[in-house]
Amino acid sequence: MATENPNADGFGEVSRVRGIAFEYLSFGASVFGLVALGVLLVYVAIDAFDLANASPEWLLTYFLTLVVPFIVFCLYSANDRDVTRRALVALGGGLVAVAVLFSAIEALLVPIPRLNWQLAYLFVVAAPVTAYLAYVGSGGRVGAVGFGLLGRLVGGAALGLAVGTLFLVFDSLVWFLAYTLGVLPAVGLYAFGRVRESPRARTAATPVGLVGLTAAVFLRDVIATYPSDLIIYLWTIAVPVAAAGALLVADRRGRVAAAAVGGVPLAAATAGGFLAAGAGLPAPTVLLAIALTGVPTAVYVSRVVDGGEGLAGLGLPLLLAAGAIAGALIVEALGVPAPNPWLDASFLSEAPSRTPSEAGLYPAIVGSVIIIAMVAVLSFALGVGTSVFLEEYTPGTGPLGTLTRILQVNIANLAAVPSVVYGLLGLGLFANLLGLGIGTAVTAALTLSLLILPITIISAQEAIRSVPDDLRRGSDAMGATRWQTTKNVVLPEAMPGILTGTILALGRAIGETAPLIMIGAATTVFRAPDSLFSRFSAMPMQIYTWAGFPQADFRYGVVAAGVITLLIILVGMNGTAILLRNRAERGS
Amino acid sequence: MTDSTESPDLTRRGGLTRLKEGTYGGLFAACAAITLLTTAAIFVTLLSDAVVFFRSISIVEFLTGTNWSPNPAGGGQAFGIIPLLIGTLTVTITAAFISIPIGTLTAIYLSEYATPNARSILKPLLEILAGIPTVVYGYFALVYVTPALKATLFPEMSTFNALAASIMVGIMTIPMVSSISEDAMSAVPDELRQAGYGLGATKFEVSTGIVVPASISGIASSYILAVSRAIGETMIVVVAMGAQARMPEVQQALFGIPFVNPADVLLQSGMTITVAMVQITGGDLTGGTLPYNSMFALGLALFAVTLVMNVISDIIAQRYREEY
Amino acid sequence: MSNSTTDDSLITTEVQTDSNDGREAPAAGTAVAARDLDVFYGDEQAIDDVTMEIPEKRVTALIGPSGCGKSTFLRCINRMNDMIEICRVEGDVEFGGKNVYDPDVDPVALRRKIGMVFQKPNPFPKSIRDNVAYGLKIQDFDGDVDQRVEESLKGAALWDEVKDQLDSSGLELSGGQQQRLCIARAIAPDPEVILMDEPTSALDPVAASKIEDLIDDLAEEYTVIIVTHNMQQAARISDRTAVFLTGGELVEYDDTAKIFEDPEEQRVEDYITGKFG
Repeated sequence: MATENPNADGFGEVSRVRGIAFEYLSFGASVFGLVALGVLLVYVAIDAFDLANASPEWLLTYFLTLVVPFIVFCLYSANDRDVTRRALVALGGGLVAVAVLFSAIEALLVPIPRLNWQLAYLFVVAAPVTAYLAYVGSGGRVGAVGFGLLGRLVGGAALGLAVGTLFLVFDSLVWFLAYTLGVLPAVGLYAFGRVRESPRARTAATPVGLVGLTAAVFLRDVIATYPSDLIIYLWTIAVPVAAAGALLVADRRGRVAAAAVGGVPLAAATAGGFLAAGAGLPAPTVLLAIALTGVPTAVYVSRVVDGGEGLAGLGLPLLLAAGAIAGALIVEALGVPAPNPWLDASFLSEAPSRTPSEAGLYPAIVGSVIIIAMVAVLSFALGVGTSVFLEEYTPGTGPLGTLTRILQVNIANLAAVPSVVYGLLGLGLFANLLGLGIGTAVTAALTLSLLILPITIISAQEAIRSVPDDLRRGSDAMGATRWQTTKNVVLPEAMPGILTGTILALGRAIGETAPLIMIGAATTVFRAPDSLFSRFSAMPMQIYTWAGFPQADFRYGVVAAGVITLLIILVGMNGTAILLRNRAERGS
Repeated sequence: MTDSTESPDLTRRGGLTRLKEGTYGGLFAACAAITLLTTAAIFVTLLSDAVVFFRSISIVEFLTGTNWSPNPAGGGQAFGIIPLLIGTLTVTITAAFISIPIGTLTAIYLSEYATPNARSILKPLLEILAGIPTVVYGYFALVYVTPALKATLFPEMSTFNALAASIMVGIMTIPMVSSISEDAMSAVPDELRQAGYGLGATKFEVSTGIVVPASISGIASSYILAVSRAIGETMIVVVAMGAQARMPEVQQALFGIPFVNPADVLLQSGMTITVAMVQITGGDLTGGTLPYNSMFALGLALFAVTLVMNVISDIIAQRYREEY
Repeated sequence: MSNSTTDDSLITTEVQTDSNDGREAPAAGTAVAARDLDVFYGDEQAIDDVTMEIPEKRVTALIGPSGCGKSTFLRCINRMNDMIEICRVEGDVEFGGKNVYDPDVDPVALRRKIGMVFQKPNPFPKSIRDNVAYGLKIQDFDGDVDQRVEESLKGAALWDEVKDQLDSSGLELSGGQQQRLCIARAIAPDPEVILMDEPTSALDPVAASKIEDLIDDLAEEYTVIIVTHNMQQAARISDRTAVFLTGGELVEYDDTAKIFEDPEEQRVEDYITGKFG
């Protein structure tokens, strides 16, 4: 038998060449879009920051003062010999490889426009390696503390600026009365009820608050004298935020720490506000930014000091600030020619202009912030309401079940309606039929809310569906009504998921342009909107307008700066959403 | 029953408690009703103005006219949708040439070849492609892609052209193809793959010969969805394609067979349905004029086409979900 | 069960131990009664014409093979079956002399009088204190919540283990502790009846035996109705045992000792000696 075995010489071999080629082809396809996008982003960054005109000395200076210390910080935090070795090999080897490859391409093939090998190294090697090291470094305690602190500083400042922006539109005097007469007494009553175990006080809180709010609206025009805006913000926002921070700390670290955590930022914010008023800056915004940055930062620092781990990480913001200052001083002292970036402070704080060098995005940013704030409230409320109805209140069968299925199919279809059609809906319904006005912020907010509503609903439904049924049955068996189960068990569990989905959907809303054009949003406004019914522009709208200008300075400079601003805001929002989701996943 | 046990009160709560429960239920139902109202409002808004439009311009004229000029300087308005359809088809087909092969290959890679680690990195990164604001894509096409193509491949290309816009629409719709196709491929039961390997098939043969055919309905539904998205795409084409409603020149080839040189369409400016709508907003928006109403007629056409495509895609997708 | 005689004698001894605990003497009133109860899931009958009276302040065990309807019966008592859309109930379940399926009965109000413990421990993702206080909170309890939390945790034999960590999450406890937390949660609003649906089947033997001891104590104050697939457990802890067999039929219902020592029905004997089921 054995001698007759046809496989005696082995089984032969089946060719894998086709298969391997196909695997590489499919991998190439997977990254094609990403590489294309990456290249475009590199170019737009170069244009926005005028890096094409940056001298090698300038790049080297900042590389040494900013990037290198940051990398060292990350490596210190990672505390892993292997990572350090690999990072050094990548940075060093990459330098040689990019320089050789780049020169070869330039010499043999075609010159690459607006790039030199230093920039190529920066984007192809330094940036990815730094990002990777930041990721690895954040795994260590020191890095986690450093990034946590940095995140609170940046996030707090952004939040402060956003809240300050909102008060450009909302009446601060009504808010002052509403806070003093409604919010404060209601919160006080509720807290009293909690501490003294008095359900009656807790029940009374809501009506008292409502009465106060109503009174505020009526008294708005009756009262003649008001404190200055600065005092109002100090009283209604800075003080309560500081108090909340102090309360958070008081439980564990006692009175002195609590007073420091609340008091220091409050004092700094007050001082900052009055100084800014003296210097002619928008004092309330400065006050809000300092207060909303300072309090979370102080709470975080106190918590880290309490934990006693990774204290070195608290130095990260200082390290970066010192690096930036040192870089600036060296550049100044040596007279190194510096680039003249389009995206700078004046771009963010000035109005648009016909002259490229004077053009700014400020009114459009304000418009976007106001619209997004309204869209956030509307789409969150409607999205949660609808998804709770679909997931918790309707059965799967029977006539109501059919209704649920119809709603579901309808929502899926709405998600796929082109955004320009929503624009027509906004124009026909909100702007013209309901008379909310063409190109007003209200019309835009309503239109965009409907546009992202299906996305919000679908993600909220997923979040609610992921709450284990065990918990619902447990609550039902305790004799909880449907609303009690929803409020006490389902929503708290689903909230991180719902918030993540909503923020991602808001990211879609902030970049939408076509519906804004359809409802007649202004292509350019020179003043920030001061009411919900004033004409406004938004960031993508302004980008669209500028992209149509023929001058190269607009096309390659101003628009690039606008695009980068928009993308940074998007990355910030999506990053927050992802952090939220990760934290929720770790928690459960 | 012993007398010591009081009969417990199990009756329905009156008044406040029931009212509270009912109020919350009603509020949530009202939220859900808003989604239905939105659909109804879209229908009514589009239809009411479109009907006014079709009173002046007959449907036949609208559907067969070869000239689109809603606001001409010298008079002589014309509302023929054909040039817009040509523009929309050009963009859609060219974009599909990019998104379909790349998206399908991506899906195969993610579902069959990628390690779990690579998949967990690649999938969210691909979603970024769909998350970039479309006006930014339009800007990329106008300012970077067109000059690059002009400098290398097509020197005769005009500043505003269909090709660059289509490439960007294609890249934007890659994740739509890849994510739904990948879902369909991942749903193929592993036994089928095992059966293939058991017969001595290579991984390539299993992927292309077993997994892809088994998930074909899901893949098809992803194509339709991506195409529908490309049809409705507005900002990329508005920024990068220009706004010239043109009929391409028909040439005579050998034996008098008429044909259109693709370069005439792709490398030149053009106008899609969506661009036409945006262009009209430059005029009066308070309503009552013919161009204003024509926007809604175009919107209705767009809405109908995308709705039908979605429903078809949904029906096809249902089939693959039922298979396993 | 491979050796039926050994099992049989084992059960017998344990029943004798149980009957020494002094809960025998006074004739108890009826806490829950079922009359001509039929339950259908769609077209399938899950409970077939069951009539039984469950005494108060006793442990009553419902045993039987899987799919025999014992859990369904348990869930009829607090109307948790209402949550299943295809479920249809005919006949009466009386609780405190009132048919819980009367149209004017609010299932929510009913469940506030009846506690329930599930197969898998399901503490809410809240602090231990909030878990126990949950029932009080939803009923707007107007008294000293902390005191009630302490009493309930003591009642569930958990107080000593968690008194220093009341604010930490209930999910940080071990499986057995979680189940006792769920028992504490169930008894906090002071219900009259506690339903237990295989409360130890997801636990290790040590944790399970703690729960069994606890059930014995609970019967001092509450009527306990427990579904179990573990016959030794039923024999150890219950005063009365009901045997359900396939098709939702209540085959025999009597004092536990009687069921395990000398059942009337041959089918019941076959079942508890492991010949079938």
